[in-house]
Amino acid sequence: MDNKTATTFVDTVEALEERLKQIRIAQQKFATYTQEQVDKIFFAAAVAANKQRVSLAKMAVAETGMGVVEDKVIKNHYAAEYIYNCYKDTKTCGVIEEDAAFGIKKIAEPIGVIAAVIPTTNPTSTAIFKTLIALKTRNAIIISPHPRAKNCTIEAAKIVLEAAVAAGAPEGIIGWIDVPALDLTNTLMKSADIILATGGPGMVKAAYSSGKPALGVGAGNTPAIIDDSADLKVAVNSVIHSKTFDNGMICASEQSVIVLEKVYNQVKKEFKERGCYILNPEELDKVRSTIIINGALNAKIVGQSAYRIAELSGVKVPESAKILIGEVTSVSLEEEFAHEKLSPVLAMYKATNFEDAVCKAEQLVADGGYGHTSSLYINLLTGKEKIAEFQSRMKTCRVLLNTPSSQGGIGDLYNFKLTPSLTLGCGSWGGNSVSENVGVKHLINIKTVAERRENMLWLRLPQKVYHKKGCLPVALDELKNVMGKKKVFIVTDDFLYKNGYTKPITDKLDEMGIMHTTFYNVAPDPTLACAKEGTAAMNAFGPDCIIALGGGSAMDAAKIMWVLYEHPEADFLDMAMRFIDIRKRVYTFPKMGEKAYFIAVPTSAGTGSEVTPFAVITDESTGIKYPLADYELLPNMAIIDADLMMNMPKGLTSATGIDAMTHALEAYVSMLATPYTDGQALVALKNIFTYLPRAYDNGPNDAEARERMADASTMAGIAFANAFLGVCHSMAHKLGAFHHLPHGVANALLISEVIKFNSSEAPAKMGTFPQYAYPSTMHRYAEIADFLGLTGKNDKEKVENLVKAIEDLKSKVGIKKTIKDYGVDEKVFLDKLDEMTEQAFDDQCTGANPRYPLMKEIKQMYLNAYYGK
Amino acid sequence: MKLDKVIATRSDKTIYRDGDVIIKVFEKDKKKSDVLNEALNQARVEESGVQIPRILDVTCLEDGRWAISMDYIPGKTLAELIAENPDRQEEYLEKFVDLQLEMHTHKVPLLNKLKDKMSRKISETKLSATVRYELNVRLESMPKHTKLCHGDFNPSNVIIRDDGKAFIIDWAHATQGNASADAARTYLMFSLNNGKEIADKYLSIFCAKSDTAKQYVTKWLPIVAASQSVKGKTEEQEFLAKWIDVVEYE
Repeated sequence: MDNKTATTFVDTVEALEERLKQIRIAQQKFATYTQEQVDKIFFAAAVAANKQRVSLAKMAVAETGMGVVEDKVIKNHYAAEYIYNCYKDTKTCGVIEEDAAFGIKKIAEPIGVIAAVIPTTNPTSTAIFKTLIALKTRNAIIISPHPRAKNCTIEAAKIVLEAAVAAGAPEGIIGWIDVPALDLTNTLMKSADIILATGGPGMVKAAYSSGKPALGVGAGNTPAIIDDSADLKVAVNSVIHSKTFDNGMICASEQSVIVLEKVYNQVKKEFKERGCYILNPEELDKVRSTIIINGALNAKIVGQSAYRIAELSGVKVPESAKILIGEVTSVSLEEEFAHEKLSPVLAMYKATNFEDAVCKAEQLVADGGYGHTSSLYINLLTGKEKIAEFQSRMKTCRVLLNTPSSQGGIGDLYNFKLTPSLTLGCGSWGGNSVSENVGVKHLINIKTVAERRENMLWLRLPQKVYHKKGCLPVALDELKNVMGKKKVFIVTDDFLYKNGYTKPITDKLDEMGIMHTTFYNVAPDPTLACAKEGTAAMNAFGPDCIIALGGGSAMDAAKIMWVLYEHPEADFLDMAMRFIDIRKRVYTFPKMGEKAYFIAVPTSAGTGSEVTPFAVITDESTGIKYPLADYELLPNMAIIDADLMMNMPKGLTSATGIDAMTHALEAYVSMLATPYTDGQALVALKNIFTYLPRAYDNGPNDAEARERMADASTMAGIAFANAFLGVCHSMAHKLGAFHHLPHGVANALLISEVIKFNSSEAPAKMGTFPQYAYPSTMHRYAEIADFLGLTGKNDKEKVENLVKAIEDLKSKVGIKKTIKDYGVDEKVFLDKLDEMTEQAFDDQCTGANPRYPLMKEIKQMYLNAYYGK
Repeated sequence: MKLDKVIATRSDKTIYRDGDVIIKVFEKDKKKSDVLNEALNQARVEESGVQIPRILDVTCLEDGRWAISMDYIPGKTLAELIAENPDRQEEYLEKFVDLQLEMHTHKVPLLNKLKDKMSRKISETKLSATVRYELNVRLESMPKHTKLCHGDFNPSNVIIRDDGKAFIIDWAHATQGNASADAARTYLMFSLNNGKEIADKYLSIFCAKSDTAKQYVTKWLPIVAASQSVKGKTEEQEFLAKWIDVVEYE
């Protein structure tokens, strides 16, 4: 032999360790090969194995004394040709998949050294199969042959190795144990990187207990049901074809046929006519005690012919007998015929009906074939229900229909989407890590290379936003002229209704001849009861348009009524479910707008609810607040008319104006902020800083200030409808709820603390969003300061000046300094602080905040805001 | 120590009684290490709290033969009782199994491991490489336990004292391991010496009382048969070969 290819003769553990060292070096080299090189080797190896199919088959039968040469030729041929054909174009080296748009790449890497255990039943074909898939995946492989079949197994491995090396593979890339012994097999399994164990449960168990990942397969005990709708000739001859193949040594081979009573005699007759031998009771007993000894399979009968087994049992049958069939009734292991027999010996059961047949098959699978294969002969067109029953109840990883199971189970022969393989995974039922036919994909490590990507963002608005002082009647014109609406339902509150705020709307509707009704029973912090009451009125009236007139409460209540009107079945708990990303939320919000068109007309500046996808409703019976958020809740039209805001009282002007300011501030520094929302937020802020004091001071006498504030409120709404809010609102929601402070005031008390908190350049934790790459919120606040014309020598100073300006604005509009100043009792505040903190932390608004707050940090901000710092 | 009253003779030893003491005197060719090992096993089992005859002395007689002295238990062996009262066979078998199961609840951590012993025995057989390989694979896949196993638990090794209390004797083959292997060994001894019928009866009782599947015990049969074949009784070899030459499913 050529010196270069000389490798250690493996007969001891030390020699094996030496061989492992050699093969690891070879594999390291092999790992650098390109797909082209590998495919050339794979081709050459497959061709070489194919050429030797007959000699290897003869050798296997001569050495093991089992099986049929002609059938082993088919197995060898199959292992070379079908495996090559299946994987010739499969990518197994380097980048095997790439999606540039999503920035993801999959890279195949070899695993290293494979330990391959080869059984006596398929000693050459399995060796060909495993060495070929190892070569295709750039792995080295060491074979542990069975002592009974070592020469032919090693010969097969040698043939593949020599062809592979001639085609350029590293020397010695395929190895084997020359003198098989269990301690060598165990050492090999412990030293390899992965185990391909084909063999009995003992070997498979040893593989799994070696501590290395193992692809093992186990015992089969395939039952075949012959339904009365089956084509009996096809069924019987398929079973014979499969069961006689290589004298029944394929593990997927049928071990029992379960025949429905109605066709039992016909099936039996067909078996007889095709040359099978039905044992009489006395012969049956003789065969029973020969094939199974103390519950274990007699080694002498494995892979022998029916004639030979009969002879060993002392039963005389014709030499040409194909299968020995035992008519038996018990499916328990006490019955020898219920076992796996690895020989042309078949159990035949009579089933009273299909259910009985399935029960028997279930038990036979449980007896010793969990996870392997089951088979059913049936009329595919009329038997759909039975097939469904069968496939759901068989705990087998292959369920074959009208298919000889030996040839069918190994794939690509009777079904061309079943992967060809000589190692059939049996899933967790069989104690395996794979449940499908083993192939190259199980022998590679796939690296996923993922590039950083940023989320798609959006700008979603009501279809129409109409704005200008005095625009209301003009905007409503299209209800008739464009949309042809017939019935309008107005939702508003008691105060606005009684003070004539609905009159401009109803006058216009009357003028256009549109029917209308008004529901004015909305209180602040609207309740579910209120919404239900409104919905009942809505249902009675049947509007095709809803107009919400008022502040946040009326608009929110109207949105909820709209939901209940369109989708009475919707559940608030589902709709209010928290989400991290509104696009990945679990709940799909129902489609809105199919019954009624929704128009929002704000009378304060403001919550921005006329352009936002949010609504909050309180269940008065439990006190639970349901914050709903979905773009389905966006009004279809928003009408911003400052005429409706001229007479706002001072307190409302101040609280809602400051609320709008915090909307804009939080939306601007949100992690989801975009240039599309930034512009809205900045202009809103500029308006608020300039016009809020004037609106506050001059009230009904300053139309310009009122209109600018109206615009600011809606623009801030547009900004936070898309960029969302932050921890200031999280905390304000709970502060308001716990201590009954107006929402705008609660925000005002917290916003300066939050700005200081968010401005940290080294926060304890930053928010998680790909667009927010590093803590940079201080600079964002500084940008706001710049836009507002505030100065400073650096970002820090600008932010300090921004906070000063905010405090200044607050005091101009009558906002007190601290929570304490609003009369919140210290003890009550401190008692509820932890609970309030936890709830604020878990508020939906927290998710968009650029700094991910720790609970103790929230608590500290509350304390600072309480005492004033 | 008076060696004048012989109560039993075996191929490799003679057993004497001297008052309350039993003296086992081994033949000259018996290896010293085997004698000491038997005494050591028995002492370890005794110290673990199982009620058995106490080891009193280990000595080498003037003629060079080794002897172990232990408590004399006045009574009859279960084998004798079964032979005398065949109609009470079932009852005795139940008692026999209860005793075996009670023994299996004990732990004697310093005893040899049953699996190691079986593995050694398999390598000592004259079986072919293929069969030994199959046996080793089978052994390897068996669950490893640490229950006290007697190794030769049969009715002649159980003495029922006159007051009804049972004592297990002859701890030469004691190991720690899988109880089913111990039961398989007992089943084999019954099959070889008393026939299949009583063996099957024993196994049914054992499996019912221990809530063990029969296959779980029978899975050990090829292994215990192989270990028995080492002893080389020619008349047993054919029977044992049949039990040994089986394969695992593939």
